[in-house]
Amino acid sequence: MTMTNEPTSPQSPANAQGMLAVAIDGVSKTYPGPDGGTLALSGIDLHIRSREFVSVIGPSGCGKSTLLRILGGLLSYDGDVKVNGVPVDGPSPDISIVFQKSNLLPWLTTEANLRLGAEIRRKPVTPASIAEMVDLLGLKGFEKNYPHQLSGGMQQRVSLGQALVLRPSILLLDEPFGALDALTRDRLNIELLRIWEEERQTVFLVTHSITEAVLLSDRVIVMSARPGRIVDDVRIDLPRPRSVKETRADPLFSTYVNQLSELMGVV
Amino acid sequence: MNDVFANERFRSAFDPLVFLVALGVAWEASVHLFDIKPYLFPALSDVFRVMWEHRWQMIIEGGYTLLEVLVGFAFAVVGGVVIALLIFFFPTARRTLYPMITTMQSIPKVALAPVMVVWFGYGLSAKFVMAFLFAVFPIIIATLGGLHGTPSNLVEHFQSLRASRWETIWRLRVPSALPSFMDGCKIAIPLAMIGAVVGEFIGSQNGLGYVILVSSSTAQTDLMFAALITIAVLSMVLFAIMELIGRIAWWRAV
Repeated sequence: MTMTNEPTSPQSPANAQGMLAVAIDGVSKTYPGPDGGTLALSGIDLHIRSREFVSVIGPSGCGKSTLLRILGGLLSYDGDVKVNGVPVDGPSPDISIVFQKSNLLPWLTTEANLRLGAEIRRKPVTPASIAEMVDLLGLKGFEKNYPHQLSGGMQQRVSLGQALVLRPSILLLDEPFGALDALTRDRLNIELLRIWEEERQTVFLVTHSITEAVLLSDRVIVMSARPGRIVDDVRIDLPRPRSVKETRADPLFSTYVNQLSELMGVV
Repeated sequence: MNDVFANERFRSAFDPLVFLVALGVAWEASVHLFDIKPYLFPALSDVFRVMWEHRWQMIIEGGYTLLEVLVGFAFAVVGGVVIALLIFFFPTARRTLYPMITTMQSIPKVALAPVMVVWFGYGLSAKFVMAFLFAVFPIIIATLGGLHGTPSNLVEHFQSLRASRWETIWRLRVPSALPSFMDGCKIAIPLAMIGAVVGEFIGSQNGLGYVILVSSSTAQTDLMFAALITIAVLSMVLFAIMELIGRIAWWRAV
């Protein structure tokens, strides 16, 4: 088994410092409604170290997106949530979110959309850094295009780019490639891997694809149906850097996929 | 391929023109064929002749009407947007202003014209008010619809970007509402024309509505039709201009 490349293991530098990017303790969420409302999340404890790539999988309606929105400071909650040591009571400047539905403004070009987040957050952004992002995401030649002139995959690249321009220490991804076809999805996963290997943000990815979660993550959190609870926390010890072809060929990969499928009750 | 598109474009300009000319020919022919009295229904050729003879009157009175429409419409745009913003952003305005405006809308505005004459006299200002009253409601409703129609995922996205209230309005809600607002303007501009002409009916010495009123009382039916056609053409031109301006908000359909 290829467990020998300790130096590239992503946990080692962060582990050494023991820095917690996300600390969720005893969090629950009730959506108001008749009969005391709907309990969406219950007793969630989750700690994510800095630079860790964590995926959350679970059946539809298990509250994984709710958890992401709580982390993003977009929803109220009961319990304790800290981002980089600071209690969450609104969107944190350390966080960028990419949603499944494109974040792009239809009346802005690719370039202007890439700049938008930085402009709103008053972060200095140079033309050079935008050009760099265009390169990084393979958007060259589409700088002056409007979102409707881009394919769905391209649009999500721009959404991701807008989030990355902010240089967030934590990236929240809410099924960012969920609406794309399998091929485009694979390609964007490769790019996400490549970008993450370089930047090593802390990533919290909500997905319903087990293979995607295994391919990308250091840890996969499995949630149960409503009310959402964490039922398992699986460490993915596949070597990095990963690639779609080689990582998927690794026998350990299928072992993880099978294990998670069983936990999800798919198999 | 290009031929097909060129042909399509040609047809969309050509077909309505042919239809209009055919209608005109049918009008002219039936008047002569059935020997219809000119004071009942003048031949189209007579209408055009009178229009030419009264060309300066048409231009001057048309100018009055146009001024009334444009001023009333401008006030309707400014007032409509301000009212829509108030209703959208202030719950108190939503509870007070909004029901009052919808109630006002149910009053036939034609019935308000005499009141406006009492308040504003026989001059231009009463017509400005009439054009405004007719035009403002669709602008309020369309702008409100646009503001409400801002995609909720984008509102959430702006929230996550820590955008201020003002930035969310200016960078997101206003551009989102723009296509719908432009639709409201397109509905409002012919209504402003109606309002101005109604105002002229009630009390005036100027404008195309006044021309219609006078020619009706002197049985100059051809002049009446000439004024009617001028009003229709003016209204169509204004609508076409609105349509062109509306293209700056092209993202409606994307």
